[in-house]
Amino acid sequence: MTEDQTAEGDGEKRVGTRDIIEATGVEKWFGDFQALRGITMTVKEREVVVIMGPSGSGKSTFIRTINRLEEHDKGTIIVDGVELNNDLKNLEKIRSEVGMVFQQFNLFPHLTVERNITLALSHVRHLKKSDAKDMARRLLERVGIPEQVDKYPAQLSGGQQQRVAIARALAMQPKIMLFDEPTSALDPEMIHEVLDVMKELAETGMTMIVVTHEMGFAREAADRFMFFDEGLIVEEGTPEHFFTNPQEERTKLFLSQIL
Amino acid sequence: MTVAGFQIPERRAAWRWARENLFDGPWNTALTIGMVAFIGAALYGIGTFVFVSAEWEVITANRQLFFIGSYPRDEAWRIWTVIYLLAGLGGLSWALWSRISPWLAGTIAIAMIPIFVFLADGDVAFLTLGSLAVFGGGYSLGKTPALSGRFNKTARTVVVFLWLASLPFSWVVLEGVPTRLWGGLLLTMMLTVFGITIAFPFGVLLALGRASTFPVIRIFCVGFIELIRGVPLVTILFMAFFLLPLMIEPERTILFGIPVTGVGMDTVVRALAGIVIFAAAYLAEIVRGGLQAVPRGQKEAGQALGLSTFHILGFIVLPQALRAVIPALVGQFISLFKDTSLVLVLGLTDLLGVARQVGAQPEFFGRQAETLLFIALIYWVIAFSMSRASQQLEKNLGVGER
Repeated sequence: MTEDQTAEGDGEKRVGTRDIIEATGVEKWFGDFQALRGITMTVKEREVVVIMGPSGSGKSTFIRTINRLEEHDKGTIIVDGVELNNDLKNLEKIRSEVGMVFQQFNLFPHLTVERNITLALSHVRHLKKSDAKDMARRLLERVGIPEQVDKYPAQLSGGQQQRVAIARALAMQPKIMLFDEPTSALDPEMIHEVLDVMKELAETGMTMIVVTHEMGFAREAADRFMFFDEGLIVEEGTPEHFFTNPQEERTKLFLSQIL
Repeated sequence: MTVAGFQIPERRAAWRWARENLFDGPWNTALTIGMVAFIGAALYGIGTFVFVSAEWEVITANRQLFFIGSYPRDEAWRIWTVIYLLAGLGGLSWALWSRISPWLAGTIAIAMIPIFVFLADGDVAFLTLGSLAVFGGGYSLGKTPALSGRFNKTARTVVVFLWLASLPFSWVVLEGVPTRLWGGLLLTMMLTVFGITIAFPFGVLLALGRASTFPVIRIFCVGFIELIRGVPLVTILFMAFFLLPLMIEPERTILFGIPVTGVGMDTVVRALAGIVIFAAAYLAEIVRGGLQAVPRGQKEAGQALGLSTFHILGFIVLPQALRAVIPALVGQFISLFKDTSLVLVLGLTDLLGVARQVGAQPEFFGRQAETLLFIALIYWVIAFSMSRASQQLEKNLGVGER
């Protein structure tokens, strides 16, 4: 599926100049195991960064530190000008500015699709009920499933569920979207419908960090590419660089295995 | 008979089934005959007792005692007030939550018939019919176009609050008569209903406390739960009886700045405290099981959206956790209902207490079997209704539809 997409290239998307995420020397331990061994990276506004790496390389752990689902042990993380640390008073406020999409969707199974989307709008954004519902409908239209508004998550296919999850995250109008292997739990025929939504989102200028192994998406939508291994960034560059001229042995080995 | 063509093969099939399963070989044949003889003898014995030799007058003569104990007859209007209130709310709720199956209501109604047969004399029968009328009135009110249509949601909210308010209201109305005169089914139901509604929130709090990240709270909750679960209910009831007055000053207690006289001395309140403490510990463990069944990703999804811990608990984790453990929760409620019979040891005359009291009456000497059978029937009807109601609830909430 990656073959004829090179021609499209809207590579001239205007990436901003301001760093919206600045991570410096981020380290994280789980007991004796060091998952992150000093990650330093920045993400600019409207930039789409794709992270790849073998399992256990720390890529998921890293993006989870950006909205503080994991607390880092060393280093600094600054998100939109606010440093993440334990003194943080309004962690909820910062989290609501950073949307996240999970591998397992994590929709709320006891709530309808609409309520999944409006829950945080009502209780975090304090929107009026009718406004929240309008927003939910608009977003479901945007992700292509307006007719599912009154269903429960279990009644939807995996691809539809993940699109609802994206709509739910977008409802908060976040400045940054984090995707943690969004298509890994999907059947192959449903992957493209989720990737299409993500591509469209990238084109509208959303700042995104995407952990994925979908080469087609990386090639088409990514501005920058990072390769993680054993808690470190091994190699970093443009997608072009990765597909044509990877430098590190580990990167080459990994790419040869998944391509 | 009419369509012989259907009857004969069916009967043959039944016979063949019996021959293959019940009479295949001498050992199974003997076993079948033995079991049939035993069941037959048991049914015959019980049947002759119930319909021939039993003297049910012991029940009809003491019907008031069974239902309300020594509650003075002049004050019976208090009980009827509560019954009418509950009947009205019940009818209204049935209409508003139209998913309650008529089958459930039918089962309960039919099971109640034998009890009402014993109850029915003069004004009581009249008042009972009146409560049915109020139930119907509530139902029709709930079915009016306004309440079943546009204002349905508002009406439901109001009714839920009315149910909550009806509890303290009932207590206050009934307490016009000192609680030491409460007895029979009335006392059993008061202990059960108040026991469940007070113990449940405490159980949830204890379960949350046990999962807390604050060591002090966690240790306290674990300690409380393990301590209470390690002690028999009878012991806890005795402790509530003897220790509570030491902790709460008997004559005058200050509650929220209001002096309340004599609360600490009230035996029913003490018994209720014991039951609540006991049930809360068990409920906490059940709820903990439910909390563990909710995947971690649910909490994380809530956090990622910027929801507060409180909202995550109330909107995401608890609804799923409680839904997962409805059968176990209702099992614990049924247990609590039956365990209230232990208040006998504190000298309270609940339903079982009345049965013992009646058995000691000289004119009905030796009629214990009738009284025990009768109260067993009442216990069973209520426990069975609770069990059916729980199944209905599970169905309505779509448990298992993940």
